[in-house]
Amino acid sequence: MRISKITVTSVTTAALALGLAACGSGSTGAGESAAPSAAGSESAAPSGPKFAGKTITVWRLGDPNEPANKYMADLTAKFKTDTGADVKVEWIPWTAINDKWTTAAAGGEGPDVTEIGNTQVLEWQSQDALLPITDIIKATPDFAEIPQNLWGYETVDGEIYASPWGGGTRAVLYRKDWFKELKLEEPKNWDEMVAAAKKITESKGKDVDGFAFVGGTDANYSLSPFVWSAGGDFAVKEGDKWVGKLTDPAFKEGFTFYTDLVGKHAVSAKSRLNLATDGIRARFSNGKVGMYITAPWDIATIKEESKGKMKDSQMGFFTIPGKDGQPAPAFQGGNDIAVWKDSKEPEVAKAFVALAAGKEFGTRYAVEGGLLPYYAEGLKKVAEDPATSAFANAFSHARGFPNDANWNEASETKAVVQNAARAVIEGKKNVDTALADANKELEEILNQ
Amino acid sequence: MTIKTSPDTRGGDQSPASGRRRKQERRPRKGLPAWFVPYALLLPGLVIIAGLLLYPLFQMIVMSTQKVGLREIRRGTTPESVGLGNYEAILDNDLFWSALRNTVIFALFAVTLTLVAGTLVGLLIQRLGKKMSKLVIIGCMAAWAVPPVAVGVIWRWLADADAGIINWFLNLLPDGLSQALFGRSDWTAVPWLNDTLSIYTILTIAVVWQSFPFIAVSVLAGLKSIPSELYEAAKVDGSTGFRTFRKITFPLLKPVFAVLLVLSVIWDFKVFNQLFILAGGTTNRDAFNLSMYAYSEAFRSPPKMGSGAAIAVLLTLILLVVTFVYVRQIIKQEDIR
Repeated sequence: MRISKITVTSVTTAALALGLAACGSGSTGAGESAAPSAAGSESAAPSGPKFAGKTITVWRLGDPNEPANKYMADLTAKFKTDTGADVKVEWIPWTAINDKWTTAAAGGEGPDVTEIGNTQVLEWQSQDALLPITDIIKATPDFAEIPQNLWGYETVDGEIYASPWGGGTRAVLYRKDWFKELKLEEPKNWDEMVAAAKKITESKGKDVDGFAFVGGTDANYSLSPFVWSAGGDFAVKEGDKWVGKLTDPAFKEGFTFYTDLVGKHAVSAKSRLNLATDGIRARFSNGKVGMYITAPWDIATIKEESKGKMKDSQMGFFTIPGKDGQPAPAFQGGNDIAVWKDSKEPEVAKAFVALAAGKEFGTRYAVEGGLLPYYAEGLKKVAEDPATSAFANAFSHARGFPNDANWNEASETKAVVQNAARAVIEGKKNVDTALADANKELEEILNQ
Repeated sequence: MTIKTSPDTRGGDQSPASGRRRKQERRPRKGLPAWFVPYALLLPGLVIIAGLLLYPLFQMIVMSTQKVGLREIRRGTTPESVGLGNYEAILDNDLFWSALRNTVIFALFAVTLTLVAGTLVGLLIQRLGKKMSKLVIIGCMAAWAVPPVAVGVIWRWLADADAGIINWFLNLLPDGLSQALFGRSDWTAVPWLNDTLSIYTILTIAVVWQSFPFIAVSVLAGLKSIPSELYEAAKVDGSTGFRTFRKITFPLLKPVFAVLLVLSVIWDFKVFNQLFILAGGTTNRDAFNLSMYAYSEAFRSPPKMGSGAAIAVLLTLILLVVTFVYVRQIIKQEDIR
């Protein structure tokens, strides 16, 4: 009796499961059968609903905010009318993206199209994770309008692995209202910046960071302007070998200025040595940070994250000050869009890249996301807007990190410089030993 | 127990002749000798263990001698063998030695404290009345049931520099007392989760807090098996509580303690979740223990599964040695008894 009952239930469950599976495959099956007849004939140039019924997954980086969501909605709607394909958008925080890609590449669920930092293209291309998209780039006339010299990060051995989407650089985001209240001016050099930070920390309380120190995975974006401003650099390629420059006096000067923010000047608390930029942004949203280095996309997120408590009028950007009055060279970043190699729909994915990074949506992506567009007309518009002039200013003397597939390992995974900074701030090592150790490890990683 | 009873029942089986004949008839048809039956029954279990435990273990050892990255995994090509290269690179790295030091010292403290706290609580529960003991057991079990990640998050909050209750409490202490005990009276914004030593202090508390209940309950179970006459006799002889523990409880519970010790050592060597949360990811490399080090090598981008596997093999070897030495010692003592 009991056995027969169990049999009946399990059979029913199995049947149900099968039925559901049949339903699921039925709907996709219909889509697949409709598509090949149209898609089989040609590969590129999206025209007409030839990808009807197909779905691709797109990974956007960062935290979704209102303008970005609207942009993606418009983009996917246009893509749907053009090609008939659906797009699933997933947002991945910048600090988590390397782990997500790693899991996806090792056999997990990956995207079809992914946004990617321009300096990350080389690393993931070397991991065999990106699909060359040279054919679609050459076949789409829009891309010819992006200046040739801006394809450097994306081109490896003659093949293009990503399309530039928007150029980004960093500046200092600060509390405008606090500056007004404390009668502070936008700092023009290091001393003025430290003085302003001190004043903020003194008047706003001990748990407020006057100038927030970034010590997490993305710390080098905030440290590098000071190092470059002092005339230093991370590493230089001599012949076919990288030579670390962390022990140079100029690097040491910028590094010391940065660690002194926590150690000597105490304008950023010791307990937050590990925070990455997204953690600091969350604190800024809660009114606990006076200044920090970031890119313009944080503004929209802060407004949302603070539930309206933080308004446009309270936030402003100024160009990262150099040692003595000159603007500091900021990291020249940029976001690209690439096709993931494991995509099951590479043709749909390529068509999506062509639309997203094309002139219309490429310019909109940059302008609405607070980045600098790569298309000439858009760039002109941004330079005229006073709100974004801090970035246009920095863009003119922006610089990059060592262009090597292993840089990311040194910079983010092994956090070489961050650990040196921690050792110095906590008094475990003096600056010279810490930098000598870090330099040795940096060379080992870059030259492996 | 089962092994003992089965020959008894067979020997005592005075079944009629017909039953015996049936047995005799069945045996030759099956063709299985009697000694084979237990092994045949063990076989499915062994196959599962081999498939799920031994094969991955073997794979890990193979991997530790290879260079395995994303390329190799994605293309499915045979990874290049590097011999003992991974081990050499790891043993050369200062990080391995600091991770090993952290692992061993942490295990030493955590295991000792867990066993002491667990035993004391076990003894306490035995003395308590029915209702009270139930209450304490439920309370302990609640801590034991919390998932390790949640434990990490809870203690991370407690130890937070600005909003944490630890700093709040230390600030409540009279300044003079605080000065005398810790050498400082102002605890505002003192970071607990930066420095390796203070991270591990919090980690030890968190791990002991979570793992002593198991020890307590196991000790309690052991205590219940000790005949009460022994304690009565001890009482008549005027033995103190500590003496009773040393002369009666501890020797009789030695096998229990042995098992608990080995288990605790294994668990505390492998602690990962709580540390990962408390240290805030893998950026702070000084605070690595061997598990964290293996994880960051094997899974952070770019993954180096070979080196990760090599660290795991070393960790396994260390554990095997510790366990082996101890188990052998126990067996020897048992023999003498």
